[in-house]
Amino acid sequence: MLSEVQDIFRDVLDNEDIVLAYETYSDDIDEWDSLTHIQLVVAIEKHFQIKFTSKEITSWANVGEMLDCILNK
Amino acid sequence: MVFYSIKFWSFFCALMIPYFTVFSKCAKAQNLWLLLGSLIFYSFADWRMTVLLVAAIGIFFYLGLKVDEHCQEQNEKAANRLTVLAVFLGIALLVYFKYLGFCVHQFNNVLMAIGFSSSLPTLKIIMPLGISFFTFKLMGYVIEVHRENMRATNDIVKFGLFISFFPTIMSGPIDNPRNFLPQLNGVRTFSWDSVGEGFRRILWGIFLKTCIADLVSGYTDTVLSLYFYHNTTTIILGAILYTFQLYADFAGYSHMAIGVSQIMGIKVAENFNCPYFAQNLTEFWRRWHMSLTTWITQYVFMPLNIAFRDMGTTGLYLATIFNLVVIGAWHGANWTFLLFGLYHGFLLVATMALDKRRKRFEKQHNLKKNPVWKYSRTILTFFLWSISLLCFQSPNIHSFLHIFPYCFDEGFGLPWTEESFQKVPALVFILVMMFKDYKDENRLNLHFLHSSRYWVRLVTAVLLVVCILGMGSLDGASFIYYKF
Repeated sequence: MLSEVQDIFRDVLDNEDIVLAYETYSDDIDEWDSLTHIQLVVAIEKHFQIKFTSKEITSWANVGEMLDCILNK
Repeated sequence: MVFYSIKFWSFFCALMIPYFTVFSKCAKAQNLWLLLGSLIFYSFADWRMTVLLVAAIGIFFYLGLKVDEHCQEQNEKAANRLTVLAVFLGIALLVYFKYLGFCVHQFNNVLMAIGFSSSLPTLKIIMPLGISFFTFKLMGYVIEVHRENMRATNDIVKFGLFISFFPTIMSGPIDNPRNFLPQLNGVRTFSWDSVGEGFRRILWGIFLKTCIADLVSGYTDTVLSLYFYHNTTTIILGAILYTFQLYADFAGYSHMAIGVSQIMGIKVAENFNCPYFAQNLTEFWRRWHMSLTTWITQYVFMPLNIAFRDMGTTGLYLATIFNLVVIGAWHGANWTFLLFGLYHGFLLVATMALDKRRKRFEKQHNLKKNPVWKYSRTILTFFLWSISLLCFQSPNIHSFLHIFPYCFDEGFGLPWTEESFQKVPALVFILVMMFKDYKDENRLNLHFLHSSRYWVRLVTAVLLVVCILGMGSLDGASFIYYKF
């Protein structure tokens, strides 16, 4: 699943060099900010056919927590 | 009470000596002492407003506890209701003290325009100092508890200190409770490192305020308020100088607030990160008044953006414009601030819409590391920001809408110099400020006052003191952001 999410990140943020890990934080990726965060959420929701709640979206601290949330859906 | 007055330092010393001696073994005693000091500090401005502040602290402390309780019981409905109540109370405080008089005035204007002679009585409400700052902290705390990003504190002294903390209550930075409250758990011991760093920040802040902001304010105030006596060149020069004045004034205050806190062993949020080196307005807003933009991003932009996410980019653009309008309106009840926010909202949307094309263009022409391209973008961003400040500083929309046609009717010529001859040192000081930012842009806080070489730090400090005492404006002028 990490590689699928990584592909989404690369596509949305338009950067082929992005390498994700469970411990990756938004500060680690230049293009990942409050503006692009929701674009990522929408792309992930579309890809995995799921819907996050707003509490979930605002609670993720890193990629690992985002992946845990996808797994729980 | 400004940070560079004898009155402030007498107060601060009286507060710090027991803080680091008698109370140095007990965190609770230190917190209580600082809370008392903060309330006394706030009372210097208007003791009646301290009653309001204490009441607000009590109410929001209780709301935080109740929201936390409901969150623990998984009673989401009750937690939501109380959070909405907290946000409503915060907004009501702001509306009553900041916007009600303006709304009544506008309502009367509308009545008069449609031919009604009766009107509502004009309200003269005294606005409590720092209300925009402490109200945002009150609301932010309850929202953080509701989001379960933190547990509510059951210590009202700690909560009261977080809200009323005297270095930041007047003009921020607006701290996040998650950063601030944990620092109050342990004792703060006296440390020469913290004191040294604190004094360095204070010294730099006083330099920005007295040698730049207050020195150029005579020129900018005259030119921008009496623009109809001046030619285009003078107005442009006035607008550019105002851009530096605002930065020096607000960043100066922030440095002093951060420095004073640091002496006490408390680290508060940073407010600026070399904003005049931003290459577009999106980046600019990430570097300017960072504590406010972070607050609004977390509690206004993100929820809106999440709610609008099914609308695609339209939703993102709507949330962005609304976000910037809120930032504009936060500054006060005036159409100029709304227009300021709208202007930035639309420019940010344009920046986002063109972002992919710009990146492609940069890639095609290998421009990413080209300094000419980089600094051209920086200058364009500065120029767009300066235009918006013409609106920001105008007393009303009418005067802003007149300054442009007037400016271009007058034509270029030599700038007005009667005052500016005395401002030459200020121009040199602006260059010093920008040079420091230029150095900090690559490696933050490793230069001049923060150099690893002792003699560089010493010479810089001595030079700053000489400039402040010899050329600075030491009349204790108020900070621009005090009125917000």
